[in-house]
Amino acid sequence: MLVWVIYDITENRVRQKVSDRCKSYGLYRVQKSVFLGDLNTNDRDSLGLECEELIDIERDSVYIFPMDEQSFKKVQLLGQAFDKELVSDEVITKFF
Amino acid sequence: MQLVINTRGSFLKKQNNCFFVKVDDKTFEVSEKKVDSILITTSATITTDAIKFAVENNIDIVFLDNFGDPFGRVWHSKLGSTTYIRRRQLEISDEPEGFRLAKGWIEQKIDSQILFLKDLKKNRPDQKDELDDYISGMEDMKSQLEALEGKLDEMRGKIMGLEGMASRHYFEALSFLLPDRWKFNGRSRNPAKDGFNCLLNYGYGVLYSKVEKACIIAGLDPYVGFNHTDDYNKKSFVFDLIEMYRIHIDRTVFNLFSKKQVSDNFFDEIPNGMTLNKEGKAVLIQAVNETFDKEISYRGRNIKIGNTIQFDCHRIANNLIGK
Repeated sequence: MLVWVIYDITENRVRQKVSDRCKSYGLYRVQKSVFLGDLNTNDRDSLGLECEELIDIERDSVYIFPMDEQSFKKVQLLGQAFDKELVSDEVITKFF
Repeated sequence: MQLVINTRGSFLKKQNNCFFVKVDDKTFEVSEKKVDSILITTSATITTDAIKFAVENNIDIVFLDNFGDPFGRVWHSKLGSTTYIRRRQLEISDEPEGFRLAKGWIEQKIDSQILFLKDLKKNRPDQKDELDDYISGMEDMKSQLEALEGKLDEMRGKIMGLEGMASRHYFEALSFLLPDRWKFNGRSRNPAKDGFNCLLNYGYGVLYSKVEKACIIAGLDPYVGFNHTDDYNKKSFVFDLIEMYRIHIDRTVFNLFSKKQVSDNFFDEIPNGMTLNKEGKAVLIQAVNETFDKEISYRGRNIKIGNTIQFDCHRIANNLIGK
């Protein structure tokens, strides 16, 4: 299922760790502190647990929002938009 | 997804737990979880870290030469499964059961060729009569093939002969249906003499590496062939199995032509023939991957065409050891 991860983290080092973790789970960065991608339930849960370990729960916040396909189709992209096909795993061949 | 490194001078490394690709000023980062294979079709740089990372995650890195033939691959040095499968594969290759198995693969190939021509016939009423001639020729070969009995040793020549004749009819039929500009005169390889063969060869090259991977994962020995005889470093078993899947490439390539998606600037002239260039490779690989991503009905369930190869290999392996 598509998952949005949105965070607000004070310390640079922690922020870096959370963003690396998101990337390694296969999420794509769509804004500075916003990640998006297709994750299964297991990965979604373990990403949540790992982020919780990293952050300072007194000051920081990480939101993990699942989103169904129906709603994703209704997403409006304005301005500098991300690649909708890439984040929803519809790209089966990527050329360089 | 499949990563295809198709631009000279690209650079691939591992960064955190991702593959990181750099081409000129463009960069791209993707998690190992999203990648299932990496295809390198040109001169590029890869770090050993990236290779190790790929191997650890069962992502195979395949290097293709100008004609699409895989000239190397990076894959773990393990057997894939138990040696018992390979032992049985050797034993069965000269038993009647091996003969039936090998004959079945060729029958399936000819069947799918005939089916393809019949599909093409549906939308081409003007060419129906000619196509019917080709089809009945091929059906004749198929029934001769079905009638064969005995051992592989004695029958190998006959099987291959009938297969060759059926294929000749088949490609003549395909050439007949192409627009004049793209008509071809039989199969040509290394190098291809025309655009159709050029795309076909490259597609078969990509397919060949998929079949080899599926064999290894299922524990089958790529070198112990049934229809194809032993030879120095010859991956006979891959040659045997690939026959069943060529049709997917044939259909993909033919569709590219019939939908007018092939243009002259896909090809580079070389002495005695032609090769596919960067642009041509991109169009073909994209189309082939789309084909493999389509679902078909397979033994009562719907699975992706690309996965049928692995399912078949597992099934063959399980049959060999009586499971």
